[in-house]
Amino acid sequence: MGPETEGRRDGVWAKPYSLASGQTQSHQLGHVNLWVTLLDREWQIRSETLEVETDPVSWSETIGHTLPSKDVSLQRFIRSEGSDTVTFIPAVASLPTVIRPYQPLTIPAGEQCVIYVGTLVWMQVCVGDGRTVLTEVPLAVPSLTWVGRNTMEGELCYSSASVARLVLEAVPKRPWRAVTPVTIINRREEPLLLERFSLPTPMLSLYLNERGQLWTPGVTVECETDMNSASLHVDQTVFAAAGKCQQVGLAREKVSRGRFVRAFDRMFG
Amino acid sequence: MAVFTGVAWGQWVSSIFLMVLGLVLGSLAARSVTRFMAQRSTRHHTVMLRRFVFYLIVVLFAIAALREAGFSLDIVLGAAGILTVAIGFASQTSASNMISGLFLLVEKPFEIGDFIEVDATIGEVIGIDMLSVKLRTPDNLYVRIPNETLIKTRVVNRSRFPIRRLDLTVGIAYAEDVERVEALLLGLAEKNPVCLEEPKPFVLVTAFGPSSVDLQFSFWVPKDKVLDGRSSIMVAIKKALDREGVEIPFPHTSIYAGSHSEPFRVQLLGPETITEKEIPDVDKDR
Repeated sequence: MGPETEGRRDGVWAKPYSLASGQTQSHQLGHVNLWVTLLDREWQIRSETLEVETDPVSWSETIGHTLPSKDVSLQRFIRSEGSDTVTFIPAVASLPTVIRPYQPLTIPAGEQCVIYVGTLVWMQVCVGDGRTVLTEVPLAVPSLTWVGRNTMEGELCYSSASVARLVLEAVPKRPWRAVTPVTIINRREEPLLLERFSLPTPMLSLYLNERGQLWTPGVTVECETDMNSASLHVDQTVFAAAGKCQQVGLAREKVSRGRFVRAFDRMFG
Repeated sequence: MAVFTGVAWGQWVSSIFLMVLGLVLGSLAARSVTRFMAQRSTRHHTVMLRRFVFYLIVVLFAIAALREAGFSLDIVLGAAGILTVAIGFASQTSASNMISGLFLLVEKPFEIGDFIEVDATIGEVIGIDMLSVKLRTPDNLYVRIPNETLIKTRVVNRSRFPIRRLDLTVGIAYAEDVERVEALLLGLAEKNPVCLEEPKPFVLVTAFGPSSVDLQFSFWVPKDKVLDGRSSIMVAIKKALDREGVEIPFPHTSIYAGSHSEPFRVQLLGPETITEKEIPDVDKDR
């Protein structure tokens, strides 16, 4: 076992790491390899996206003096005196995320269910005590989709295929995805076929529980007579099953009434 | 000297002061509007409101200045009316452009910042003015198009809607399996992050061309990623077809001289015969 492997540890969100001049901290998380280098007057950040067959479930972090090859893209940032700490803060997607169950799910009339969906998070590289954001990297390549009545009216969204799990224990716990419990209440007199729905991710904040898993507050969707009258509600607190949590990332957008209407108007494509 | 002493200098100074004050206040108000609107509205609305505020203030101060100078507003307006008719006859083109400009503002086929195509010119709208619309082309040329032309001709707004469909023509050899190539292309669209998942990409067989089966590969991209989307997917298509051994044919020409004629004899010259290449044809029979 080489020295590189010996220093390998699990990465943690929102924990300040101290680096000495010349040191490089490398991370393997999600579909991304990231290197943060501290020099006398600058920070250097290198990142590359990996094409992996299966989704990784661990986050490994190493501190050393090895840099990747020159093919890896490099970003340079000015470093102020005394700021030698780097912190990684998770951030939700900047666009709503369309969740598409691999197999559509039917909710009978008058029934309700809780679906656990995982959405991709972005990694913000923050430095210093003030946690100045240098850059942010998506932890997998996000794919785009369009949600709307036609190609003229609608909204660009990120897309996420999901198993739409109904049992919390079956949800894979990956440090680069945040779990959102979505409660769907069908108050109609007809069954509701859930083929896809748009989750307003920019309105969700991020919480970290004691096991290092990311959670967002729950979302409740209530379908009354028809789809357009569905109401959407973002909980103020995290789901009890997440355990003891601390808030690590803020919502990108405040919950505004206009936005809210649009969100549930297009909730089901 | 009597001419100079007879002029009411005080009134004229006040009028000029009012005009200058109007221009200064108009500029300051326009700047404030720009600052206020920049984060809250589009570039188009910001520019329109800025101009409206500037001209409103300047016109109000100009009227005040004229009154101060002793002009009756009725006479000024009457003179302006006669002058407008005279100028209108003398410069029909300008008047037509001004009225066309008003129609453009009301109809709003494009806004500042939009990417439009007029006749054979494509560019970003950088100004909608009284007489003309200014474009900046992708190769950084400044193009001025009279408003009247824009009213009369076909204008394509390339950035009105948030997403656009790109149609690529892909020709494959007749020997290839069309369905396999179709699956290959759809797989590329699925992998490329610029291509939208919905509306779904699709492949159509459009023609049996002279040397290829022509396919139309259509996919949707965000409006700001059109060039990136087109280029990256074309590179991916070329790589994928090469990797899978699918032939992209180029036009082949066969010369057929009739059923009774002898086939053309084609001989590959070896290195030893190369020296003969230098001998002119006329000398060969000697």
